[in-house]
Amino acid sequence: MELKINGKTVTVNAKPEDILLWTLRDDLEMTGTKFGCGVGICGSCTVHVDGEATRACITPLASVQGKEIRTIEGLAEGESKLHPVQEAFIQEQVPQCGWCMSGQIMTAVSFLDANPNPNEEEIVAAMGNNYCRCGCYTRIYDAVASVAGQGETT
Amino acid sequence: MKSAKPETPATKRRWRMSRRKFLIGLGATGGALAIGVAVGLPYGRLKLAEMIDSGGGGFFSMPNDPWAWFEVGQDGRFTLYISKVEMGQGVHTAIKQVAVDELGLSWDALTVRQGTTSKGPQDSSGTSGSTSVSSSFTPVREAAATLIQMLRQEAAVQTGQPAASLQLQDDGFAADDSAVITFADIIANKAGEWEVPEEPAPLKPIGSLKLVGQPQPRVDIPDKVTGKAVYGFDAKLPGMKFGAVLRPPTLEARLKKVNTAAASAMPGVAAIIEEDDFVGVVADSRPQAWAARDALEAEWREGKLWQQAELEEIVTVGGRGGVVVQKVGDVDEAFAETAVTADYRTPFAVQSPLEAQAALADVTASGARVWASTQVHTSLQGQVADAIGLEAETVEIIPTYLGGGFGRKLGDVAIEAARLSQGAGVPVHVGWTRREELTAGFLQPLSHHRMTGVVDGSGRITALEHQIASGDILFSFFPDAMAAVFGADIGVTRGAHLIYNAPNRRVTVWRRKLPVKTGSWRGLGLLPNIFAIESFMDELAHSVRMDPLQFRLNNLGDDERSRRYTAVLQAAAEAAKWGTTPTGRALGLAGIMDGNTAVASIADVSVDENGKIRVHKITSAMDCGLVINPDGAKAQMEGNAMWGVSAALKEEATVQDGRIALNNFETYPLLTMKEAPKVEAILVDSGQMEPYGVGEPPIAPIAAAIGNAVFALTGKRLRQMPFTPERVLAAEAAS
Ligand code: FES
Ligand code: FES
Repeated sequence: MELKINGKTVTVNAKPEDILLWTLRDDLEMTGTKFGCGVGICGSCTVHVDGEATRACITPLASVQGKEIRTIEGLAEGESKLHPVQEAFIQEQVPQCGWCMSGQIMTAVSFLDANPNPNEEEIVAAMGNNYCRCGCYTRIYDAVASVAGQGETT
Repeated sequence: MKSAKPETPATKRRWRMSRRKFLIGLGATGGALAIGVAVGLPYGRLKLAEMIDSGGGGFFSMPNDPWAWFEVGQDGRFTLYISKVEMGQGVHTAIKQVAVDELGLSWDALTVRQGTTSKGPQDSSGTSGSTSVSSSFTPVREAAATLIQMLRQEAAVQTGQPAASLQLQDDGFAADDSAVITFADIIANKAGEWEVPEEPAPLKPIGSLKLVGQPQPRVDIPDKVTGKAVYGFDAKLPGMKFGAVLRPPTLEARLKKVNTAAASAMPGVAAIIEEDDFVGVVADSRPQAWAARDALEAEWREGKLWQQAELEEIVTVGGRGGVVVQKVGDVDEAFAETAVTADYRTPFAVQSPLEAQAALADVTASGARVWASTQVHTSLQGQVADAIGLEAETVEIIPTYLGGGFGRKLGDVAIEAARLSQGAGVPVHVGWTRREELTAGFLQPLSHHRMTGVVDGSGRITALEHQIASGDILFSFFPDAMAAVFGADIGVTRGAHLIYNAPNRRVTVWRRKLPVKTGSWRGLGLLPNIFAIESFMDELAHSVRMDPLQFRLNNLGDDERSRRYTAVLQAAAEAAKWGTTPTGRALGLAGIMDGNTAVASIADVSVDENGKIRVHKITSAMDCGLVINPDGAKAQMEGNAMWGVSAALKEEATVQDGRIALNNFETYPLLTMKEAPKVEAILVDSGQMEPYGVGEPPIAPIAAAIGNAVFALTGKRLRQMPFTPERVLAAEAAS
């Protein structure tokens, strides 16, 4: 099968019912997208499908064929220029263990793309379905809020 | 990770104990100079560790190697290998700050690397107990200072200049004539053997340290926002396959037989490994491995089908076998007066690191390499070796980043991966499902606390007793002989001691054996014990109509620890505007002195008509001694506040029909941003000259602070965690 990931077309030896998360992590060795629950609750596996935050752990390949998939590995421009949301997560020193962070960042980017000037309730609603066991919530909030209001993020 | 070339076993080391018990090692091979130090464990503790080792316990092992290991390579570059693993607590950054400061080099001149069982230092206790920074502070500084001193003296010999005149810079020393002798040259031109001095070099005065005490960006963060950080679940090797292990369906289940025919016929299945009651499958992909495991047809002897109520009954104080762990005066005599008494209970809880257990093992006839998300790689080495019949020296355990530890990452999954890799003859990765993480590990045990106290007319506590019954925490990992030496489980008793200065005090612990596997969880006994003690302090205060803050201050001595504890209580109270009552909300206070770390927390809560508690804000003040990285310490306080709120409001596992009645996060939801409080974290400086624990103490007061706030608001006393809406509605209003 062919998939469009981070602007490149890749061929994977997979079936339409295979789950995107495992194709990314184990076939393509793109382990930046994480596994937390496998049932769509925790948000660790969040990627973008045509810009929409999507939980890769419950997404069969059939549903993303021909669509633009974007993962944490495709967020920075090249090696050096990080996405403003990534910069904000460094600036606010957000991650602790970091396991949830790809999902947090991908969720935040797609949210801010759609709503560049959110208020507090909107940020909490958008980020409120991603678990962070280390409890970095105040910093995640601060990082997202610091990017919000700075205009288009991508 | 991808270059799976075995690294050569580390440098040969020589050891000496100096007059001042400065245990220092020296190694020099391949033209590199390396020195390291062991943590200065008191002799008694070393003996204890030896005993635990010989008793077959897996939790500690004897430190026989330095804790921190500096190397200066042929290129003159400095590397610091540390045995403590990075699980988000910022330990690599904090230790680097200490090391760079003492070396006197710039930040980028020192590279910090994770040690493995063959590279860098080994240490006995793993990464646990909030001790990583405090136990390394002095040894790392002594090693750093000594290393620089040795290099300086050798530079003096080689240049013929007086040692004191040489100016340290990142690449070497500049002599008066401004010629530079590089570290690479010093090492290359060293004649004869390096000698470590009898005594460590003098340390810089604390006040002159430049990085210690400054917020420092964490070294691990850039790779964590780009997806580059490699965790145990991410480990890869060419030709690897994926494994999954059959789990017993009930707490006491014993395998009768297993029919593997259906599983073997599943797509992608490469091998099924059966050894006694260990049954696992190896398949081409992870979903295939999980599906084939689920297709194993096993017959079980179920054993007793335990129910939660039976376990709660077991975990009840009283009867024979109580161990007294604190005794001052005579409480029994004092309790002849009218005493107040109250019972508290805490639930089974699950650590739930967001990265589930994970390890990759590559076992061959001559040895094994294992990448694992583990807090205890040193002790894991022997356990893996035993399980697959290899000599420990041929097994290398390589700790990765941890996607959360919280006491659960003991690496047992590495044994599973090693057995499957050995059986299948290929590298095998085992990653647990969330369901396994919630049901197949070990839990924070149930606990029951009975508090009894007498207060006189002036608001002074005359007698205070804390009785505890609990399942095992650290005893789970000790052989029984060891448990007998300790008396009481030091995990269960963490936070159990009474610091208020009542003339009569007693703490008694009953060990309760449970059919449920229990063990370490963030902070061990801190949260359960302080929930009981500090809720009861609130009850006592209200019983004599005193302000809870004033009541605590009334019952503290004027020794140094009490003064430091008083200071954090006052700092939290001031920041949270204690004494004011926001409309529809109330404040509750609780505190802890854990080791030398003092924390006080104030919860600001409201309760809706359905009994749902909302924690609006946690204000915590902490005195953890000398702070290395204030921003890192505050991050730990924030994380602990979230953990505490999550545990206090939501987290509970129960046993039904012999099973832990959990499945995935829908049955064990964690706190989200929607329910998260604001957190104000305040560091209180009392001029201490060394760092104390940070990673766990701030969790201790959170549940009690919330319960006390709910009482202030509603007059209802919450004595059972978690404070679910049902329990809030059912709680009796005080008379
Ligand atoms: S792993 Fe996909 S939502 Fe949890
Ligand atoms: S940083 Fe550890 S789970 Fe979010």
